[in-house]
Amino acid sequence: MIFAGNFATAFPVDTLKVRDAKDVEEVVRAAIANEQPLEIIGHGSKRSIGHAMATNAVLDVSALNAVTSYEPNELIITLQAGAPLADVLSLIDAKNQQFAFEPMNTAPLLGTPALGTIGGMIACGLAGPRRIKAGGARDHLLGAHAVSGFGDSFKTGGKVVKNVTGYDLCKLLAGSWGTLSVMTEVTLKVMPKPEAERTLLLRGLDDAVANRAMTAALGSPYDVSAAAHLPYQAFRARTEGLGDIAGQGEGVTALRLEGITASASHRAGSLRELLAPFGTAAVIEDDASSALWAAIRDVLPFAADGALGAWPVWRIVCPPASGAALGAQLARETGGDVIYDWGGGLIWAALPPTSDAHAPSVRQRAAAFGGHATLIRATEDVRRGVEVFHPQASGIAALSERVRAGFDPKSILNRGRLTRGATA
Amino acid sequence: MAITMPASDQAVLARRAEIVAALRAIVPGEGVIDSAAEMRAYESDGLTAYRQPPMVVVLPDTTEQVSLVLKYCAAQGIKVVPRGSGTSLSGGALPLEDGVLLGLGKFKRIREIDFDNRVVVTEPGVTNLAISQAVAHAGFYYAPDPSSQIACSIGGNVAENSGGVHCLKYGMTTNNVLGCEIVLMSGEILRIGGKGCENSGYDLMGIITGSEGLLGVITEITVRILQKPETARALMVGFAEVEAAGECVARIIGAGIIPGGMEMMDKPAIHAAEAFVHAGYPLDVDALLIIELDGPKIEVDELITRVEAIANACGSTTCQISTSEAERNLFWAGRKAAFPAVGRISPDYLCMDGTIPRGALPKALARIRELSEKYQLGCANVFHAGDGNLHPLILYDANKPGEIERAEAFGADILRACVEFGGVLTGEHGVGIEKRDLMPEMFTEIDLNQQQRLKCAFDAQGLLNPGKVFPTLHRCAELGRMHVHAGKVAFPDIPRF
Repeated sequence: MIFAGNFATAFPVDTLKVRDAKDVEEVVRAAIANEQPLEIIGHGSKRSIGHAMATNAVLDVSALNAVTSYEPNELIITLQAGAPLADVLSLIDAKNQQFAFEPMNTAPLLGTPALGTIGGMIACGLAGPRRIKAGGARDHLLGAHAVSGFGDSFKTGGKVVKNVTGYDLCKLLAGSWGTLSVMTEVTLKVMPKPEAERTLLLRGLDDAVANRAMTAALGSPYDVSAAAHLPYQAFRARTEGLGDIAGQGEGVTALRLEGITASASHRAGSLRELLAPFGTAAVIEDDASSALWAAIRDVLPFAADGALGAWPVWRIVCPPASGAALGAQLARETGGDVIYDWGGGLIWAALPPTSDAHAPSVRQRAAAFGGHATLIRATEDVRRGVEVFHPQASGIAALSERVRAGFDPKSILNRGRLTRGATA
Repeated sequence: MAITMPASDQAVLARRAEIVAALRAIVPGEGVIDSAAEMRAYESDGLTAYRQPPMVVVLPDTTEQVSLVLKYCAAQGIKVVPRGSGTSLSGGALPLEDGVLLGLGKFKRIREIDFDNRVVVTEPGVTNLAISQAVAHAGFYYAPDPSSQIACSIGGNVAENSGGVHCLKYGMTTNNVLGCEIVLMSGEILRIGGKGCENSGYDLMGIITGSEGLLGVITEITVRILQKPETARALMVGFAEVEAAGECVARIIGAGIIPGGMEMMDKPAIHAAEAFVHAGYPLDVDALLIIELDGPKIEVDELITRVEAIANACGSTTCQISTSEAERNLFWAGRKAAFPAVGRISPDYLCMDGTIPRGALPKALARIRELSEKYQLGCANVFHAGDGNLHPLILYDANKPGEIERAEAFGADILRACVEFGGVLTGEHGVGIEKRDLMPEMFTEIDLNQQQRLKCAFDAQGLLNPGKVFPTLHRCAELGRMHVHAGKVAFPDIPRF
């Protein structure tokens, strides 16, 4: 009997490695009967995001790692939730396909070895640069089988791209950080990889001007698929992985065009003309371009092994045209560094370490611009003292709690991960 | 009719005069309609086979009025049915005899156009097309384009998660909305999301979109706008066999080409459309594909060549490529008029809306032909081929005894086949009342209970649009009950580390 006695102190962490959905049901039911919360992990690559969980039992889904079906011509793939993301990316890459939302690899930023699992990718919902054009994990999750906090397996959605049958619970599962259900199998949309990519590089713009350049590019008819700005300070911490765009003592504003070769080149030319008032853009192609965007996606300037590796890192989402005003203000007030993605709509901020990671000021500034901030990297000590996820207006918080309770009334799943002090 | 709606609350009906007076105190003047003649305009939506006058119609014009109406109805235990433009094809806005019909038609203002953030903030009663028109001068448009876009409201689009011809490339409503103001049944006003790409916390916007008016009443919406593609050209390709057309669709996608639109019509649909609009459709083919490529001219020209080669390789018997906007529009004219065209060859028709995996198209069409024989009713098929969304139009005559029942049974069998082939009951029209009783074909009771628990989080009394989507409404207290599985107190025998 594993769950006899005082769970919190008498036993070390008990890891239960499930083999199928039935196992998940049984583990959750046993956990309900024992009122013992579970931490759900795949590879554990993003475990350090969020609050410490009130549990000493771990439900490990990494053995649910099969590819159920992959039909390139249908543009869908069905996978068990524990399938390793790295393997899945190779599999679809071999058919020249990809997840269009460019899932972030959090390993460099968090200093963990693994890329994680498909389930983790969806539950955390961290989309990369193409978010502005292709959407996020929530837009690519077509269907799921999951086990709720009632211990029941349910399905939602389907295996087709166009579906409005019943409530779209997939939207809730994506980005729920494992607090609603344990996903066991998911169906995702895959998209063809673009034949070619071109990236325009503008140098030496300050944040405000760069934001205007990105706004002009994204408002153009040239179908820009990514727009980022790296202020020159951002290169001081780490230039590895950024190729020769770093180290020139200037900020870099990057704009990506993708598609068939003739089109990407043509649009790069047109966009270069449109942006002439901001300077003469250099163009990098294909491999050099994709390496740069992978570095931006994974926030390499703030990587754990760089000079700012010990600094807390915030992920701030805001209206894109306000990005520079918000980011520059935060950098100035705290002495921190920022980089901008999503045309200014996503700010990564590495701020000098303090006991609260500057939370009050980050939250206040972000909210003033209509944004919200998540503390993606911080020591456990810091996370004990501040909310990791942006606190919500009371009505939304209450509704979200009712929604959560509708999936997991006893708060068995990842209890306490989203809200500080909710671990009791 | 075969659909059973929730039983009318006689106590509520008996208090009708008092309820009308209370609503008038909230929404003064002509905003409350209670005469039988005037209410007739609201007795049905786009699913005209079902009609039911409401108890009373209320047309508020501020969020505060919506809030007060809902608060009053919640306190009094009165059901409420929200309505936009009333173009739902699944009966989502069908009134209830003992319910208040809450129309959002007066919410007609676009509140803000923000080109820098590429969003429009609008009231829900604005039509889909009006949003595109309001930003057209700057080269922008709102991408989802349901065929009713001239009439349907953006609020209704959010409620139904509307699609359209271009959603293969540009997504459905859910992929194009960023935030909203919503009033819960309790009267509580909430703001969700905004101009940023993502909201914090659970994706409530994602769950509200497509919830068919069961979760709340939307009073403001923030949508994403896009720059219009520089150009668009279309190919019209005929095939002697449906299978070859299906193969062509698969190969285009397989080649990494995502067309702006890719539509298929079968022979009966081609003939009906050609007779109606004279678009020059080939009449000797079994399947016609209209494939539209959009983007920069240089890209479109290149892709047209590639698609033409694929079509030839698949054995196309005719292939026309548009060389002007007029010609492109002519190709589309027949497809866009397919529903009224079918309306001309049959006194009545039922429009179905299942989705299947693209690869299942030939067997789905074969099944439809068998069912057409079985039920002795004609059927014309139009099909959003790119995303597997099938619209069989079942031809019948409501004046002939038994035909509507046969048509409905035929339609239900088609949707069952869609599920059997790995697809779903509805791709874009919604469940409403039309497919409500078919939900168990796709979902178990556990699946449906989980969906209803979400409903409970928004509307615990079950007063908002009851009788839609779910075949059986459970009480929230019953759904929240936890069944502890006695005897299973230890974790099962699974590997531990």
